[in-house]
Amino acid sequence: MECRYASYEPVTSSAASLTVEIAWPNVSRMSAVRLLAAGEAPLLARPYYGDGDPGPIVAALAHVPELLEVALPFIGAALGPSALSWRTKELVIVRVSALAGCRYCVQTHTAVALDAGLSREEILALRLSLDYREVFAGAAERAVIAWSDAVAAGHGPVSGQARDGLRAHFAEHETVELTVTAGATLMLNRLATALELPTSPGTLSRLTSEGLL
Amino acid sequence: MSAIAEAVAAGRLPGRVWMYADYHCNLACTYCLTESAPGVPRRELGHERMVEIAAEAAELGFTDLGVTGGEPFLLMSLPGTLAEMAEHLPVLVLTNGTLFTPKRLARLEPILGRRVAMQISLDRPDPDANDGMRGPENFGKVVEAIPRLVERGIRVRIATTVESIEEAELDRLCALHRDLGVPDEDHVIRPIVRRGRAVDHGLGVTARQQDLPAELTITTDGAFWSPFGPTVSAGVVDTDLLITRTTRPLGVPAGALLRLVENRPPGDDVALNIR
Ligand code: SF4
Repeated sequence: MECRYASYEPVTSSAASLTVEIAWPNVSRMSAVRLLAAGEAPLLARPYYGDGDPGPIVAALAHVPELLEVALPFIGAALGPSALSWRTKELVIVRVSALAGCRYCVQTHTAVALDAGLSREEILALRLSLDYREVFAGAAERAVIAWSDAVAAGHGPVSGQARDGLRAHFAEHETVELTVTAGATLMLNRLATALELPTSPGTLSRLTSEGLL
Repeated sequence: MSAIAEAVAAGRLPGRVWMYADYHCNLACTYCLTESAPGVPRRELGHERMVEIAAEAAELGFTDLGVTGGEPFLLMSLPGTLAEMAEHLPVLVLTNGTLFTPKRLARLEPILGRRVAMQISLDRPDPDANDGMRGPENFGKVVEAIPRLVERGIRVRIATTVESIEEAELDRLCALHRDLGVPDEDHVIRPIVRRGRAVDHGLGVTARQQDLPAELTITTDGAFWSPFGPTVSAGVVDTDLLITRTTRPLGVPAGALLRLVENRPPGDDVALNIR
């Protein structure tokens, strides 16, 4: 299957068409900075290397260890297990990453979303290849996606419609967390895209076999 | 008393802060940790920053300053910088000792009578053996310079960096430094550390973090665990002993260093006698 993801294009829940088809450019290029190997890991970064390859986000952030050691716990708290369900968080992460045109985050979180129980069709809808309103039947999940679209678009305040939609299904603390999840995802999207971080071979082969590359 | 001052006073943290004044050098020794040579990127810390670090180090509770490179005395303004730094804390400056022509000796005026000592490299008691690793005429220039410095009242330490040395040869080297006016307590012998250019020549011993005293070391590329940290391999500064990229305020890397030190067993920093 061909790569069919969007580069950044503001999309709101009121947009007429919610599907786009754009191929990733230069997928095989090297990352923009060296990814530090375990033997090069600065002292404050070593705990994040475990026994070997910590993944490209850590290996890139390790260049500035004092940033890594505060960013990683934050990223873990924002994107990892929390009061929100795993599935809900992956809705936000995959959707925002697709809107931001982040190849690395879309590919990596497609695999995570599969693990979190999302179907292939749902993932394709989050990735803008299908209209999510035709794929997601639940009002709460549609509200999450609409909220994610508004946060990712960043065109001033979220519309009253998106706000009311979320409020009908989520408490205030959940609204805060959904928004932080979207914001943290955007930060990683920019990092991974600008630095052209490589998707792991394991993820690429899994996505190939699932027809989701 | 700051946490740093307490740790230094209690002997848990070394009191010296090192600075890499520059990375270029008039020599290109085979065991050079920093791949220094005349044409390499200079990475100069700069007068203002060096004096600022000296002031911050004193304020935090460090007790001594060290200046290394590259060859620091390639920087024409260095004596003035050292003199200003010495207003805050005593300074030890490492030099290859080959640049002290009469004209350059006259330029040392700002440090005379100040708390500035020099550490000069001298590896062997014979010109041929010494110069093999350090370059032609090194020995002659150094033995010429040391008495000139000593007679100006500058305290000179001699650093001998070797893979190994026979007892008889060491005896001759010690006789030589005494002749030059340098007492035994100011002669240090240390192993070659296998980093930088020493790797290319298969020289030296591998130094792990725990083999090296935790002496805060500031460079243009960030703060490191030890002056043996910001070495250069194939033109790139090594990161394995990097602490933080942030060096201003100095409390940021100093605090991170203290945190690292306190997480390790005490007394494990002297295994190679690298000082
Ligand atoms: S070891 Fe010292 S004198 Fe020799 S090249 Fe390196 S910086 Fe220069």
